[in-house]
This record gives sequence, structure tokens and C-alpha cells, in this order.
Amino acid sequence: MATATSSLNGHNAGQAATSRLAGVTRSPMVRLIVKRLLMAIPIMLGVSLLTFIVMTIIPGSGATALLGADATPEQIAALEAEMGLDQPAHVRYLAWLQDLATGDLGSSVVSGQTVTSILASRLPVTFELVGLAFLLSVLAAIPVAVLAARWPGGFMDRLSMVVSVTGLAVANYVLALLLVVVFAVVLGVLPAIGYIPLSESITGNLRTMILPVISIAFPLFCFYTRFLRSDLVEQMQSQDYVDTARAKGIGPWQVLIKHAFRNSSFGLITLVGLNLGTLIGATVIIEQIFGLPGLGQQLLQSISAQDAVVVQAAVLIFAFVAVMANLIVDLLYLILDPRIRYGSR
Amino acid sequence: MAAVDSAAEFEVLTTEAPAKSSRWAKWRRRLPILLPAGAVAIVVLACFVAPLVFPIPTPTGGDVLTSRLPVGSPDHPLGTDLNGNDILSRLLYGGRASLIVAVAVNLLGLFLGGTLGALSGYLSGKFDTVIMRLLDVLIAFPALVLTLAVAQALGPSQRNTILALSFFAIPAFARIARAATLRLNELPFMAAAQLSGTSGWRMLFRHIAPNIGPQLLSFMLLGMGIIIVTEGALSFLGLGIPRPAPSWGNMIFEASQTMSATPIQVVWPSMALLVTVLAFNLLGENLRSRWSSR
Repeated sequence: MATATSSLNGHNAGQAATSRLAGVTRSPMVRLIVKRLLMAIPIMLGVSLLTFIVMTIIPGSGATALLGADATPEQIAALEAEMGLDQPAHVRYLAWLQDLATGDLGSSVVSGQTVTSILASRLPVTFELVGLAFLLSVLAAIPVAVLAARWPGGFMDRLSMVVSVTGLAVANYVLALLLVVVFAVVLGVLPAIGYIPLSESITGNLRTMILPVISIAFPLFCFYTRFLRSDLVEQMQSQDYVDTARAKGIGPWQVLIKHAFRNSSFGLITLVGLNLGTLIGATVIIEQIFGLPGLGQQLLQSISAQDAVVVQAAVLIFAFVAVMANLIVDLLYLILDPRIRYGSR
Repeated sequence: MAAVDSAAEFEVLTTEAPAKSSRWAKWRRRLPILLPAGAVAIVVLACFVAPLVFPIPTPTGGDVLTSRLPVGSPDHPLGTDLNGNDILSRLLYGGRASLIVAVAVNLLGLFLGGTLGALSGYLSGKFDTVIMRLLDVLIAFPALVLTLAVAQALGPSQRNTILALSFFAIPAFARIARAATLRLNELPFMAAAQLSGTSGWRMLFRHIAPNIGPQLLSFMLLGMGIIIVTEGALSFLGLGIPRPAPSWGNMIFEASQTMSATPIQVVWPSMALLVTVLAFNLLGENLRSRWSSR
């Protein structure tokens, strides 16, 4: 029952479970969703275990970080006992898992806030940042790549090549600082740091988001443009369906956009899905530079305060988003490619 | 139709025009590799040899009395920073730190990750499943976050920066090596070697390694760029090379603190980072297309 999608993913965990489910439903869409959700469970457990191990081997604990350098060993021991940190690591991990199963993510040892409320205030900022950066990079890359691929070797092609090769070498934090130098220090048209919530003012919110979004989106835009351009050119030059379409008398623009682009979009989607992890990593440093109160900034603070509970939750959310992104990529394959949809490949 | 025509024209232009003089043609074909290789060589020489040959002030222990000198000051061509340290000197020594870290991480990735991936692809079965599950976890983990946590766990130092970044490089190399080995498994010479009784280690080192080598090597050059940037990010966040020792990342951070007064100081380490990463990227990319077209 190896479906085309499972060969695309390279490996088929949970196949036994899926073959049992195959009898229940014949829809490849439902089968895929169930299978990937089952696969996500061991991955998420692994991620949480790894986070836990790393947080445990960090010298000191939340208690030492909370009490500061002057604390006596007795004070530390007392606070650790109060926080439950004196228990062996595996007991704490199992207790954490048990709480997680009941929907209780615990609360921060530093601020005492529940993790749920921290996530509720931090997540929207990060989602807005990632979402806008994602949209901007993809929506800008598509027309530029299509224009470049329309006349390979032409002016647009060369220009987009130079821009994207250079852009790929620019670190996002360098780009962020250069943008701040230009737009905040020299021109003074945009704020250098700070955040205005969307609920307060839409234009104010966008003004504080524009530089961070560009810092994250530009390197991705370069990456997607280069990839899509070379894939489109390859499709146009070497694929039979392109010749067929041309022979039918379809214009070059239509062949490029309707035929070649549809095929090239598979590669682009895969790339975008894989890139989501990078996108999330980028929020940590970009939120720090621009003072955005998102999950990335919280994660950085919690790592240095050794606030293990918050770190656990944040990392788990990031990993979950990455796993879900890959699921969505596979679903998009189903929608775009009828051969997979009907399971006939 | 027009698209193919202009594409064909482009091919003709690039391949035939230099054929008029064959020596020029040979050099011109090598240019995409020679140019970035030259840039890499210049950066390496500047960082490792220049401080030994030319009288350059030390990168640390500057005098506060000579702090924040402008660009073009005598003895300090790029000026001095807030602590009175010579910026040019910090740039060169910082480059040393970045390059040492990047080379070490990539070598660790190449040997550990490469071996792991090749073994995984060659043995397949249970070993492959276990390794792939582990890599799945590491890949689902946002790379920078993992590196941050490991760096925090180990504490800031050059050696720990290398270890933290290896967490990020080893799975990447392992995946590339595994994919390449899987493709190799399909080829007849592998079956021939196996049927003639070649031992497992010999298969790995004499048959698989030389065949996946070029691919891993060009990935390593791209990896140099990625690691230099990520090391910069760690140092920028204070978890990489500990100050006052210079690194491009922590120089960018220091300069960003005084950005409204002296914006030019952000530019120097940023440019160094950009040029070096660009050179490594172009070299890796062009070598890859050269090797894959053969």
C-alpha cells in the first residue's frame, strides 16, 4: 500500500497503523492526514525529551538563576525542593508529560505566569511576523522568477540572479541592522524598535512590523526566486508537455504560467515547507533586535533564566509548527497532482 | 517558442563566444570557480597571515583614552571601538575565530554526519530506521533554538560554540550522505562489489566515500557560509565567542549598541561577513554545477 506520498517522504513510519486504517477509509487525503498525525507523536515526544535533557544538563537550575549569585546552597536547596526541582529528572519528565496530557503546561518559575497565558500573549506576535514574512517572500518571488524565466539570460534574469545571490549571503541580523541604520537612523521614517499591538492601531502595528518582516523575508525571497527561476527554465527547455502546449499554439506566457509554473510549484512548496524551521529560528534573533514581544524573544529570555517549563512549551510549539507545515505540504501535493489524488502512480 | 529561442541563444553566447581563443576560453570557464576561490584565499590570508606580517595592534586591551577614533586615524585605519581597540585588528582576529569555528564544525559534520548517513543508507533496515527517527527529531527542532540551548548548556567559549553548532551540522550532513548513498545503491557496480565479497568497511571507504565525496564537499562549502552566519548569530546573542575576544558576530552586536552615533562600525564586520559568505556560497555552488555536469 505504499502510496506515492509515502515514497515522497522517504520513510513510512506508522505504516502498520495506516494499513489497518486503510480499510476504514479509502480517501488518500484522510489516510495521509491520519498517518502523518500518528508520525508526529513520536517526533514531538523526541523533541520534548531532547529539550528536557538539554535543560537538565545546563549547570544550575531555575532556582540558582532566580536567587542570583549570592544565594547560599541551603537557600537554593530549599527553593529547589519547593519548585519540585530536587526530584530525579525522569520523574520530573514523566510528571510534565502527565500534566501535558491533561492540557496543563505548568507555569513559569520566573514570573509565576501560567505557560498558557504566556503563549496566548506571545504567539500572535510571532505568528504575525512569520505569516507576513512567508507571504511577502513567496508572493514577491513568484512574479520575479516568472519574469526572469521568460527570457533566460535577459536583463531581468541577470538582475534577479545578482540580487538573489547577494541576498543569500546576507545574514538576517545584518540585514536587520542595516535596515535600521537606513530607515530609522538616517531617514528616520520607521521606528527602530518597539511593538504596537494590532488591536491598538493597524497602521502603527504595520509600521513596527515592516522592518522585521523584511529582514526575515528577503533572504527567503532570494532563495525561492533562484530555485523557482531555474526550475521554470528547466521545465520550459526539456519537458514534452511544454512542446505539446506550444504545438497547440498556446502563447509563451500562458505556457510558462499555466503549464510550467504548475509543475514547478511542487518544488517550491517542498522548499517552503522545509524552510519553516529556518523561519522560526530567525524569529528568535529578529524579535530580539527589534524588541518584539514574541515567542522567540520569550524563548531566549527563558533559556538564559533556565525557565525549563517555558522553554519546553515554546520549543514544542515550534517543532509542532514545523511538523504541521510538512503535513500541509503533503496535502497540497494531493490537491495539485491528480496522480497522487487518485493513488494511481 | 520565443522562450526557447532566447534560451538557446544564451547557451550559444556563453559556450561559443570564447571559443575564438582557446586559452581565454579555458580561463573563462574556470572563472566562476577561480574568482570565489581567490576571494576565499584573500580572506584566509588576511585573517591568518596579515597579523603576523604587518604591525597590527592587538584586538583586545585597548586604551580607553584612544576610544572611538574615526576612520582614517593614524595607526588605526578603520578607527577604534568603544573600548579603544583597533577595529581592523578585531576584524582580522574575529575572522580567524569565525573561520576556525566554521572549518571545525564542517569537518565534524563531514566525518561524523557523513559516516552516519552513509552507513545508514548502506545498511538500511533497523539501523537506518533508528538513525532516521533520531534525525527526524533533530530536524523538527528549529536549528537555531537547539544551538542556543546547547550553547547555553555548555557556556560560551570557542570550543563550546563548535560543539553547539555541530548539533546542527551533523544531521544535515547525515541526510545528504544518506540520500546520496541510497542513489548509489541502485548502481550495478555496488552489487558487483558486494557479490565479489567486499567487506562492509571496504565498501564504505573504497566505494561509497569516493562517490559521495564531491557532493559532500560542495555541501561543506555551502555549510561554511551557513556556519559563519550562525556562529555570528550565537555571538551576537552573547552565547558564542565570549567578549572581549573578537568575532564578527559580537563585533556586530557591540557596534549595534552605538549605532545612532557611529553607524559605520556596523558596516565593517557586516561587510566582512557578507563577502566571506558570498565567496564560500559561490564556490560551493559553482563547484557543484561543475561536478554534476560531468
